[in-house]
Amino acid sequence: MSLSPDPSVIGGVSSPKFARVPKAELPFARRATRLRHLAKSSHLAPYLRFLADLAEAQQRVADTLGAADPLDAELVERNRSYRMPPLDRAALIASGSMKTALGALVSEAAKIDMPAAARAALEELSLAPESDCQTMLGQLSAGQVPEGLSAHAVFAAAALQVVAVRQAAAIDAQKLVPISVGTCPACGGQPGVSMVTATQHQEGARYACCATCATEWNEVRVKCLCCGSTKGISYRAIDDGSTASVIKAEVCDECHSWVKILYQNLDTALEPVADDVASLGLDALMRDTEWKRGGFNAFLSGY
Amino acid sequence: MNIDLSRRSFLKLAGAGVAATTLGSMGFGEAEAQELALIRPFKLATLTEIRNTCPYCSVACGIIMYSKGDVRKEQAELIHVEGDVDHPTNRGTLCPKGAALKDFVRSETRLSQPMIRRPGADKMEPISWDDALDRIARAMKDDRDENLVQFNEAGVPVNRWTTAGFLAASATTNETAWATFKAVKGMGIAGFDNQARV
Repeated sequence: MSLSPDPSVIGGVSSPKFARVPKAELPFARRATRLRHLAKSSHLAPYLRFLADLAEAQQRVADTLGAADPLDAELVERNRSYRMPPLDRAALIASGSMKTALGALVSEAAKIDMPAAARAALEELSLAPESDCQTMLGQLSAGQVPEGLSAHAVFAAAALQVVAVRQAAAIDAQKLVPISVGTCPACGGQPGVSMVTATQHQEGARYACCATCATEWNEVRVKCLCCGSTKGISYRAIDDGSTASVIKAEVCDECHSWVKILYQNLDTALEPVADDVASLGLDALMRDTEWKRGGFNAFLSGY
Repeated sequence: MNIDLSRRSFLKLAGAGVAATTLGSMGFGEAEAQELALIRPFKLATLTEIRNTCPYCSVACGIIMYSKGDVRKEQAELIHVEGDVDHPTNRGTLCPKGAALKDFVRSETRLSQPMIRRPGADKMEPISWDDALDRIARAMKDDRDENLVQFNEAGVPVNRWTTAGFLAASATTNETAWATFKAVKGMGIAGFDNQARV
């Protein structure tokens, strides 16, 4: 290692990449660690610990499935020329690996300690006919939790995440093109939250985080991720007297929706799914306002 | 994809009461209730992040101004200023002056109204905008009447006023810069910088 000073590390101009696909070591293990950390100081601890166990189960399922095959280069090129995402969610759901993942996740999740209601939902999901599972996965990939089935949806969404994240990790991020505001360039899904990053050479850039495949893509700051408006954007945070809230609600007066924004440049430990759930207090306060939650998180429906 | 998945198609679905939230239906209702009780006394703070242009120089760097409150609806207080990563000119960076903008905006000595130092006085005193503009117009008119060059050495008619200068701000729009240029050059002012150079 050279001992010569390298001032370029502290200086430098941000040059954000358009998209960041999940790394080969998938995000589940880090998510589990973060959830356990958040559980230490939250009333939601039992749920956060359950989700940590679930994230570890997701990791185990991903390990059994192994790395995904790269997508057909011709298909990627064709979709790119039409500004379409390379991943087809419908095909993903119908694929054999989805079926394997759902089966594996159900049996892995069964080992987790959970309340009776959750266990009953898991059992029902394991007995549900194939067509029902397909419909549910279809709805989840479209950013909806089937009404009245939010407990079942947690496990189905966990399995969908494994398959989508694993496939997204096999994509070449350089080949992705912007599709439209608030649409994942890898799978066409909906973002859960957005994040102002602290990644070196990308400091201060905002990335929307796909709720399905965990791909992150660059979106201009101070812009609504639901309608793309830059007019009438303001922010809400829990008023605890601090001036630098690390999680805020980005509110749009044009389409009356809001999406959470996480400031990794203020707290590098923030994780898009774990901190979204742990900051449920903000959702609770926002529920009583005129704005509707625009970010999707299958582990947090009803807010 | 909007197929309505019927609850009935799932076999042996337990219970009639449908819990509205994931936490409730997963059996974590107690933890959820505790969290909600904790958060109930809190209110939401309104914050804004607004794009603007640094007013210092003609580079016109993009900045994001963070405020507590929303000035479009009520009073707002500036709490932070940082470089705008999305801006093509500075891509998130700021010079030391730009980085200190918040202190410049909130400085106690910041000029907030027109001031005048009268002849012989050692202090500035406030003056109304109307009076200030009248005095400036008067001074400019007198100076121009006295010093305007109407013909050059060759006897060609010119409009050349070299004894007054004009400096405009960098954060103006193209349209403002255009109008400023027309007005100032129309009067013949030679020493003119509207900071629209970059």
